[in-house]
Amino acid sequence: MRGNPLWPYLATIVKIVDETPDVKTFRVVLDDPGARENFRHRPGQVALLSVFGQGEATISISSSPARRDYLEFSVRRVGRLTGVLHQFEEGYKIGVRGPYGNGFPLEELRGRDLLFVGGGIGLAPLRSLINYVLDRRDDFGSVEIIYGARSVADLCFKEELFKVWPKAPGVRVYTTIDRPEYGWDGHVGLVPAYLAELAPAGAGKCALICGPPIMIRLALQELARLGFSPERIVTTLELKMKCGIGKCGRCNIGSTMVCTEGPVFSLARLQALPPEY
Amino acid sequence: MSVTTPTAGTISRPDLARLLAGPAADGRLVAPVRTAPGVVLFAPVRDPGALTLEYVNSTVSPKGCLFPQSEKILGWRGGGPKLDLYSPPEPQPLVLFGVRPCDLRAITVLEPVFGGGYPDPYWRRRRELTTVVGLGCTEPGPYCFCVAWGISPVAAPEADLMLTPVDPGYLVQSQSPKGEELLRRSGVSLQAAGTEPAVLRERRTAELTARFRRLIDPTGVEAAAERLFDHPYWRELARRCLGCGICTYVCPTCHCFNVIDRTAPDGSGGRYRCWDSCLFERFTLQASGHNPRPTRAERLRNRLLHKLSYHRSRYGLEGCTGCGRCVAACPVNIDITEVVADLKGMMT
Amino acid sequence: MKEITLNLRARAMELLAGGRVDLVIGYGTGSLPEFVRPVFVDRPERAEELIFNPLCAQNLTKYILDYRDQPGRVAVVVKGCDSRSINQMMADGQLDREKVFLLGINCPGLADPVLLSVAAGRRDWQVEAEPEGFRLRWPGGERLLPRDEFLMYRCRTCEHHNPVVSDVLLGDPILQGETPDRFAEVRRIESLTPEERAAYWDALFARCLRCYACRNACPACTCRECIFDRPEPEWVARVVAPQSNLAYHLVRAMHVAGRCVDCGECDRVCPVAIPLREINRKILKELAVLFGAPTPGTSHPAPEPLATFAVTDPEVWL
Repeated sequence: MRGNPLWPYLATIVKIVDETPDVKTFRVVLDDPGARENFRHRPGQVALLSVFGQGEATISISSSPARRDYLEFSVRRVGRLTGVLHQFEEGYKIGVRGPYGNGFPLEELRGRDLLFVGGGIGLAPLRSLINYVLDRRDDFGSVEIIYGARSVADLCFKEELFKVWPKAPGVRVYTTIDRPEYGWDGHVGLVPAYLAELAPAGAGKCALICGPPIMIRLALQELARLGFSPERIVTTLELKMKCGIGKCGRCNIGSTMVCTEGPVFSLARLQALPPEY
Repeated sequence: MSVTTPTAGTISRPDLARLLAGPAADGRLVAPVRTAPGVVLFAPVRDPGALTLEYVNSTVSPKGCLFPQSEKILGWRGGGPKLDLYSPPEPQPLVLFGVRPCDLRAITVLEPVFGGGYPDPYWRRRRELTTVVGLGCTEPGPYCFCVAWGISPVAAPEADLMLTPVDPGYLVQSQSPKGEELLRRSGVSLQAAGTEPAVLRERRTAELTARFRRLIDPTGVEAAAERLFDHPYWRELARRCLGCGICTYVCPTCHCFNVIDRTAPDGSGGRYRCWDSCLFERFTLQASGHNPRPTRAERLRNRLLHKLSYHRSRYGLEGCTGCGRCVAACPVNIDITEVVADLKGMMT
Repeated sequence: MKEITLNLRARAMELLAGGRVDLVIGYGTGSLPEFVRPVFVDRPERAEELIFNPLCAQNLTKYILDYRDQPGRVAVVVKGCDSRSINQMMADGQLDREKVFLLGINCPGLADPVLLSVAAGRRDWQVEAEPEGFRLRWPGGERLLPRDEFLMYRCRTCEHHNPVVSDVLLGDPILQGETPDRFAEVRRIESLTPEERAAYWDALFARCLRCYACRNACPACTCRECIFDRPEPEWVARVVAPQSNLAYHLVRAMHVAGRCVDCGECDRVCPVAIPLREINRKILKELAVLFGAPTPGTSHPAPEPLATFAVTDPEVWL
């Protein structure tokens, strides 16, 4: 219903990829051609997905906006709604409201060398930006991706991680898993520790980081040590949201509504907010 | 018909009944009703005689007429690969009578929340379809402090039709086409006002202000609240908080809501927007189990700061209108006026 | 009651100064003379904040749940009705008796704030207990109100003027005469036809806001995760509607059945004056009639009719 920000666009699931035992990527196409045309998102923005009968959940859009014919959402099964969504099949309908949020600060990232630090499902919002950067390769500097998960099975976007991104120009991918595993001869260790080992120089670079809160906390300390300035460390917060449009009063940190003024925040901005997230 | 209805004048008590008779008979009148000893609630009224004029203010604010406690926002039929959405029925036109200036101001306070960046069509439609008849105060209630926020207890611009009691009748001022329409349809004609309305309002505001039992000076409370964010004061205050939703639900400016789906056995269902309270434990509880406001201290602080600071910094409007209902209704005497004084006191 | 206040303060100061408790939970003056509030006294010097007057209605035992998992002891001020909650919490396995020091109050009865406001014609009054009744004072007036006519509803059918469990008793012991019938209103509602009863309750539940104050104030509601907070499955719709409001109140009544001590808090805190106590009293009446059970919490240990099976039970099957 046009003009109603609480009314979802109906969308059809066209492809489901099992990324890990508890993460699936849903590729959806909006049913209404007008909606398809008008839905333009920036990397880092989110949408509220409706599983009718269960409610809505806020999920990062994990596809790049340069890929126009579909939207992808990588969803971890954590509760009731995501549990039901994980049982859906191709052809099923869901609702999509969005895009909401501020997205990554593309203007500040242009021309810079980028360091992506991700853990687990945290790679999902970063993936949207990584693919965007690769679709406009000349607009950005070098790309380093440090990514880890609990185990090989828990690594998301394996296709891109191992086959697509390492082959792109000026991109280096460093993957790690928490504990040794038979058949894995890559790096073993937690992401913050791997980051410390690799020690990328921070000067002039932007770091984009997303993952479990503990990983972010430790990685932030490491990034500060490596010389990344707080304005150039960017993360995306995860908070419970119900409307996504700044009305339901739930996602505030102090007087900042995360759904409209976030969820992407620089460390500098986060440090100015009360620690309620 | 070229007779123009004068926009200000007086009516008698019986005229008031005539003004409301049409809407009441049509089932469109919502007015204050004495529901139980000590309890006055806005409710649908079929007979104008059933409403009460003996009240300072209602126990629960009338915001539920524009922002209902539970409201269906969409419905669906089917499921899986075959699903259709449909709109809920249109709300009914209403005449909302007896709204005090503090609650009238609350409409303005809520407007940027529901208007603003993503205009809410449900709020908008109800505002369009509701004729608000304001009723100025003749005495301050024991917990009122509207004037502390610069609100006059005598009249407010948000009403479509503003009534000010001038014994034995009412001064009436129509402030919008809807107000004009209500007057015109009722056939009540206005007599000339004895005093110039603006003069009367100014005089009475001064009169009433002097009779408020207690007034706060909120200057500086916003800055104080920000500075004292980490102070143990909030934990101390929250010791007695029950974590119920009384203060949020009686408040005319609280707007937090939840969105809940309900399904019928055949898979069809509806999505509802329902009041929620930031004081409830699960308000910010995430599916992962993490809760940014895990105890009553954080939640209580968040609500009070929202009223005293956040709303103003987001929208340039005070978040509280001084109606005093939370003070009257809180079972453990958490008193926002006392909090203001405490916060300011801690800064000196 | 003035004497009770003085003794209470002395006792609290003693307990805190001697390190026998870390916290005293009691009543203190509110932000205005017509209010009282719970106070949490953690230092001997603050014992001065404690009072006892005819407005001290709240059942403070609910707050024990906030402190029982922390080290140390807390002292709680309890009246007769509140003290039943202590026994019941122990019966429910919710409380270690060692954990609390009970400052018992022999309570002569509390005043109903709504009736006081009617008597004064205004809200800004203060009230004190005097031997002959309640002394009500307001700007420009005062009255001595006969106690019996201005008692709180719960006090009119008070079963325990003196606490049933305590570590110390403050105030003179009060003679417990015969308790007036607690179930008179329940019987009145029972005498209505089913249609009348449905209309009665529908009208009341129509104004329920689902603020959950009744649940939050109730000392029998001790679940760490309340069924009404679980969105999966949604046992009772969170959407406010006549059916879900009715379901909420009935389910809650059933969940506290046999554990409700009839303290009356649910009633007192309801912002729209729904007489919730009558639902709980209906169940209490059934317990009394079917099992001869006294009010839960009257003693500890006590027989628990809803948690025990006996071959003499009225129901033929289970």
